[in-house]
Amino acid sequence: MFTFTAKGSVLLAALALTVGGVQSAAAADKPFAEKKIVLQISDPNPFKQTLVLNVANNLLKEYGTEGVEIEIVAFGPGLRLLFADNANKGRIQSLSTSGVEFRGCSNTKKNMAKKLGYVPVLNSIAKVEGPGVVRIVELVTDNGYTLVKP
Amino acid sequence: MKQALKKVALAVACAGGMAATIQVEAANWLMLQGTEPSSAAGRAKVWGFLQPTYTSMKGSEVAAGPWAGNEAQFNQLPPNLSSSKGFEIRRARIGVRGQGFPLDPKVNYFFLAEFGNNGITSTGGGNGQARMDHASVTLNHIPGARVRVGLFKVPISEEMLQAIHVFDYINFTNFGFQQLLERFFDADGAKVGPAFNGPNVPNGPIGAVRDQGIQVFDTFNTGGWDTSYAVMLGNGNGINRQDNNDSLDKYIYLSTEKVYAGKGPRVQSLKLFAWSQTGEREIFLNTTSVMETFDRKRSGIGATYRKGKIRAAAEILRADGMIFAGTDGGAVVGSVAGGPPAPVVGQIAGFNVQTEEKADAYYVHFGYAVTRSLELDIRHDVMNRGTEVSSNERKFTTTTLGAQWFFNLKNRLAINYEIRSAEAPNLPSTDNANLILDEMDNRLSLQITSIF
Repeated sequence: MFTFTAKGSVLLAALALTVGGVQSAAAADKPFAEKKIVLQISDPNPFKQTLVLNVANNLLKEYGTEGVEIEIVAFGPGLRLLFADNANKGRIQSLSTSGVEFRGCSNTKKNMAKKLGYVPVLNSIAKVEGPGVVRIVELVTDNGYTLVKP
Repeated sequence: MKQALKKVALAVACAGGMAATIQVEAANWLMLQGTEPSSAAGRAKVWGFLQPTYTSMKGSEVAAGPWAGNEAQFNQLPPNLSSSKGFEIRRARIGVRGQGFPLDPKVNYFFLAEFGNNGITSTGGGNGQARMDHASVTLNHIPGARVRVGLFKVPISEEMLQAIHVFDYINFTNFGFQQLLERFFDADGAKVGPAFNGPNVPNGPIGAVRDQGIQVFDTFNTGGWDTSYAVMLGNGNGINRQDNNDSLDKYIYLSTEKVYAGKGPRVQSLKLFAWSQTGEREIFLNTTSVMETFDRKRSGIGATYRKGKIRAAAEILRADGMIFAGTDGGAVVGSVAGGPPAPVVGQIAGFNVQTEEKADAYYVHFGYAVTRSLELDIRHDVMNRGTEVSSNERKFTTTTLGAQWFFNLKNRLAINYEIRSAEAPNLPSTDNANLILDEMDNRLSLQITSIF
């Protein structure tokens, strides 16, 4: 029984690790988060930049910084939010300090580089790994996130 | 899950409302009008405002002198000068601004057109004509030295530089109206008698403190204060026309602003500023029948304060060289003199320019926000015009009582009552100049400003 229990515990621990590995790194930062929200910004309208940051801020107020996982995924024209010189960089820094993750789209970055003639400099806070839309699919289908597109 | 979605929906809804009240522009007029938020501006933002206005004066006539019995210029509604009361569309502007290539935040543009009835579109009572009001491109490539080129507001007095749609009053101060809104003339108007063809009238739209040229400017944070500078070279020949001499106007502006809260046009702050404009104008002297060049200089120093419910501003201003000096005998331009004295009989009244004179002025403004919707304002302004020659001097004093009712953030009603007086302080009270100026009427104005 003891042996079985020990084996069972090891198995459960291994299973938990495996599941954890599938989940985002962000989730591990807030183990007590009850809600998981991914915010999409892909719109050229600059008003949407303010809006998506406001939504993130309101969610933090509502659930508390430890109570909610928030990731903002920017792709298409919305990637301008994550440009290093963006006028909202102060707010982005502040939200990042509160645990909000920022993710940029690598495909969009490449396409913008073609148009600009140089690679756009993005905010160092932002992670740029793979297509933005794929990131959203992973978060929603595999990690239990709710997609909100303000 | 349902509860969580409800909270998310609430957060989105709150964010929408909150975002609508946030101004994303910078906190001073140079930046607000000349730049866009970096990487956060659209390709083309359409915007504008309308100002339907009603004005009423008693309509007192010229009381003495050769033009006695004619309509007094200062008691008629500019620019048409055909009535002492009535409705008009004071301003109707629509524009577009942004970053034409949104991926590159280093280039932005600003275009604005004027369709209202004012000195820009119908100077001196001429036919109205829609005109370009702003057309500028700003290059933000050099740190600390942004470059703006084209047609735009020059860095000048706070009263003029501020966005007109957030101006707390309906009419400008005496100095602003007479000495900063430049009228361009071919002649000084010092003719006597009917020898010249037609009255002396402006040869184009009013300057409206716009100029075409190049401006270098920027803003820096210096110990918690936003310190700004601007230096500009311009034609000094008004809106949308080439220069008429080989001399460019020079503008210098410096301000420092302690921001307490907020952003944009109604930022809460204490601002100190100083500015100067120097230029030359060529004008035909009626008395000598020759064209000569004269200086035109303007300068000022002042402060603004806005915090909580309190708004205040004060500025001291000077004009040196060529100054605007009203109309012949105080009469509406185009009025025919009945005389006496004999040489004047038959002369058609026109505008006058004093070519080597001075003027000084000040204004003090105080406002109080009684509620979120109601703001009360009072402004006192004094201008001494023609201070170099005692007989030229005219002193204009106006106290403006105002109230603004804000229907919402973009729409307001303003009511102004101006207690106006003027005198020639160095001439006897029985002199024609004083008899004429005694008839200056008070002025009631109502205006709706609707920003879109």
